[in-house]
Amino acid sequence: MKEITLTIDGQPVSVDGGDSVLDAAKALGIEVPSICSHPDLPAYGACRMCVVEIEGVRGFPTACTTPAAAGMVVRTESETLRRLRENTLELMMSGHPNACLVCDYRAVCEKHKPAPSKAGTSTRCGLCGNRSECDLRELVLASPGRNLGLPTIYSHKKVERDDPFIERDHNLCILCGLCWRICDKIHGQPAISIVRRGKEARIAASFDRSWVDSGCTFCGACVDICPTGTISDRFAKWHGHPDNKILSTCMLCPEGCAFHEMTEDNRVVATRMTGFQPENRLCALGRFAYPQLLQDRHRLDRPLLRESGELVPVSQDEAMEGLAATLGDFRDGSFLLIGNDIELRETKQLYRRLARDVLDGRCLFMAAGAGSADLPEEVADAIENGTIRAVLSAGDYLSADLREHLDFLAVIDAFPSALSASADVVLPASILAETTGTFRDAAGDVKGVGPALPAPEQARPEWHWVRDLAQRLGADDWKRYRYAPDVTRTIGDDPAPAPLRTRPRDSVKESLPERFRGHFIADRVPALRAFGLPSTPAEETGADKRGFLIRKKEEIAPNFHSFVVEAREIARYARPGQFIMLMAGETSERVPFTLTDWDPEEGTILFIIEETGRSSRELCALRAGDRIAHVSGPLGAPLDLSGADTVALAGGCYGIGAIYPFAKALHRAGKRVFVILEASSHFLMYFEDELREFCEEIYFTTRDGSMGRKGAVHDVLVELLQSGDKRPDAMAAIGCTLMMQMAVEATRPWSDVPLHVALNPIMIDGTGMCGACRVSVGGETSFACVDGPFFNGHEVDWAELNSRRGAFVQVEVEAMPQNGTLAAHPCRD
Amino acid sequence: MIDAPTAHSVERVHDVCRRFGPDRENLIPALQEVQETEGFLSPDAVDVIADYFGLSANNVYGVATFYAQFRYHPPGRHCLKICQGTACHVQGSGVLLDAAERTLGIRSGETTEDGEFGLEELACLGSCALAPAVVLDGVVHARQTPKKLNALLEKARS
Repeated sequence: MKEITLTIDGQPVSVDGGDSVLDAAKALGIEVPSICSHPDLPAYGACRMCVVEIEGVRGFPTACTTPAAAGMVVRTESETLRRLRENTLELMMSGHPNACLVCDYRAVCEKHKPAPSKAGTSTRCGLCGNRSECDLRELVLASPGRNLGLPTIYSHKKVERDDPFIERDHNLCILCGLCWRICDKIHGQPAISIVRRGKEARIAASFDRSWVDSGCTFCGACVDICPTGTISDRFAKWHGHPDNKILSTCMLCPEGCAFHEMTEDNRVVATRMTGFQPENRLCALGRFAYPQLLQDRHRLDRPLLRESGELVPVSQDEAMEGLAATLGDFRDGSFLLIGNDIELRETKQLYRRLARDVLDGRCLFMAAGAGSADLPEEVADAIENGTIRAVLSAGDYLSADLREHLDFLAVIDAFPSALSASADVVLPASILAETTGTFRDAAGDVKGVGPALPAPEQARPEWHWVRDLAQRLGADDWKRYRYAPDVTRTIGDDPAPAPLRTRPRDSVKESLPERFRGHFIADRVPALRAFGLPSTPAEETGADKRGFLIRKKEEIAPNFHSFVVEAREIARYARPGQFIMLMAGETSERVPFTLTDWDPEEGTILFIIEETGRSSRELCALRAGDRIAHVSGPLGAPLDLSGADTVALAGGCYGIGAIYPFAKALHRAGKRVFVILEASSHFLMYFEDELREFCEEIYFTTRDGSMGRKGAVHDVLVELLQSGDKRPDAMAAIGCTLMMQMAVEATRPWSDVPLHVALNPIMIDGTGMCGACRVSVGGETSFACVDGPFFNGHEVDWAELNSRRGAFVQVEVEAMPQNGTLAAHPCRD
Repeated sequence: MIDAPTAHSVERVHDVCRRFGPDRENLIPALQEVQETEGFLSPDAVDVIADYFGLSANNVYGVATFYAQFRYHPPGRHCLKICQGTACHVQGSGVLLDAAERTLGIRSGETTEDGEFGLEELACLGSCALAPAVVLDGVVHARQTPKKLNALLEKARS
């Protein structure tokens, strides 16, 4: 196209006719802020951030939608433009929770808690899985004034968690349109669109259908392109920004799509398309199931050998020895190897040669998605009539019936099965990203796989096992296969695997292979059941009618759930400051929560749970009428503040509910009570009316200044301590560790006034047995569960507490449920 | 009452579409015409239209929902429209709408399960002197209160 020359910020630049002013600015290296533009998409002009001034043009056109013209004189920076952009940003952010971005304590908070909390709803950056990759946050932090004066209008939309793999929080959406535009580009017929208008506008499928029914193929492009945390990958969202990416090939079907494995700490947390072009698209398996298969919690990870009837863990050498010793007896043509057709060529090559050349037996490769029922009839016959007596199976490929006929069975696999449980030898296999080599796809093309990532424990690539086995069986020359290329070069013209009938990338319905290595994929990745993939029916557990009945349950503020539960004995004996331990189901984690209120006559207790991790999510998924498996309490030492005449009670987040029993008891005892509440933003405040009833004065502090004063509880505590008439002679603060720690620091000059803080270390039994909740207070070791939870904050060793609290961060992320609605809970049907 | 979507109505929608060229600029006229003949835009109708224009149902629904004139539920035997114009708004039309939604058990834009009443909002009826005003089956009723409105609905029902 013809080249044209224009001037931007005084610098001449030549670009192709048809390029936009934004393109021209980019060519000069001039950064014009923008959120809705994307190099792979046509201009859209939604965000209005890239406004510029052009001589002779009225108003402020958007650089992305204005074609560059010869002789144009453009300015990208001026006082007016700066103000315009700030106002635009302010308007945009008024619909996007932003307390963290204007909080005075952002830096210290993010240092205190490097990873965001795994909240149910992202009501600020600190609770948003997208924090480390948020374009919007970057834009705001880069804006010079960061003047977000408009109050946040939180839209209280329920997070959409019903679709597999993808969840959507429309409270974060700024309607940039990137998601549906990339969907349109990649698929031609977008599965989503902006529906309705004005403040009702949102990204949705027609008639608000689920995405499974909207034609979505779950390629994940919308997740990858979303500049906010609105559309997120449920599995990857809490893993933060991947630290590496590896270009590799998917080996879940014969298509062999190229993709990027996004890794964190050498583990695949997500896979992504290699570009935003139609030919780069992935299927739901490649994009979402792949990391979950690798990170499966039940991987086979050590060799097992049957000894006097039992499968016992053994060393690699022992397993090899046992295998070689027995297999040697089956060189009479009675050996069969069952491998996978969708597999590294190197593995297939050595499998073929082991079976044919070393053991004089047969070798057969099972097609993509095949299971034990797909075993060729003649093979099944041969097993039944005793022609085949020994099998090495690289997956769950034999029915229990056929297994009965065998004299010897070895299984080399990644996941346990009834078949592996009945085997004589079990070898753990590295799979997919844990291997390296080459892959031939259905079209016949050879593609690279790897480099290999670490496999669990003692799992090894299959061809390694086979190579070592062959050597023990006398094939000495196999030791020359040290690395994959040593095998690759021995492969001649290997056949391409048979293609699938329909391509998984085109539809999630009736095209995804049902099995991987003979196992139902949906058994390992339950979300796939939404696409109609079969899985092994769960064992009937029978609805458990025991447990503690939830009378009432309500989300009183985003992420804050109030529960009224029948627990007669606890209601009878509870006192302010005590807590309870809950288990949602019989096998759930035990988690402590402070009691907010109790009614001995009704026999009920009230407590508030902040949904901010695995176990709280599990509890918050329960509804009125459901039962909590275990509620034990009241636990901990009550805190008696009745010796004081004037008490200041400070509560933040979940602590707002926790200070309530003190306010109630002290106010009724005729004490002067001052209540100070802290929340990030006005819409997260709750219980203010209940508390107002039991105090002389109530103060509100918010991090964004949207309610009460901008700041934290300690600002008010200090003010009260400095005042003559409202000076408290006892204080209590309940909230996150940072909030309590900051309150302690700020009130240190008044350390004669005790500041009681409720410590929240990791707790297991809550009765003083396990010692997990050990804290150092005043130089001595105490147990938060029985000696606390309240301690004088001025004596607490905060550094130790913080480090102990962070001990299981990684495990917690991995334990997040992958079925959005927690349908597996026994209380669900 | 309009029939539930049938093979017959799908064929009708197709016929309507064929009166227009399959270019995108004809989408809105086609949507209007379909609403005219069918009374509303059903999911099936939207599928047929999308197919005809080479778009996805999601595209078409996105376009249609941008405009206030399209409805997605069959109209009721009686049609109640509540003016939400400035004058009526000042005179409490919001309360009227709430009352109607409560009484009928539906949201604006929907039709009661028994097919008796459809409820809609109007931007301005032009009867500002009569605010707050409602239109029931084409007849304007002036200076409404929730109580008067309920009586009106009761009368229409019998």
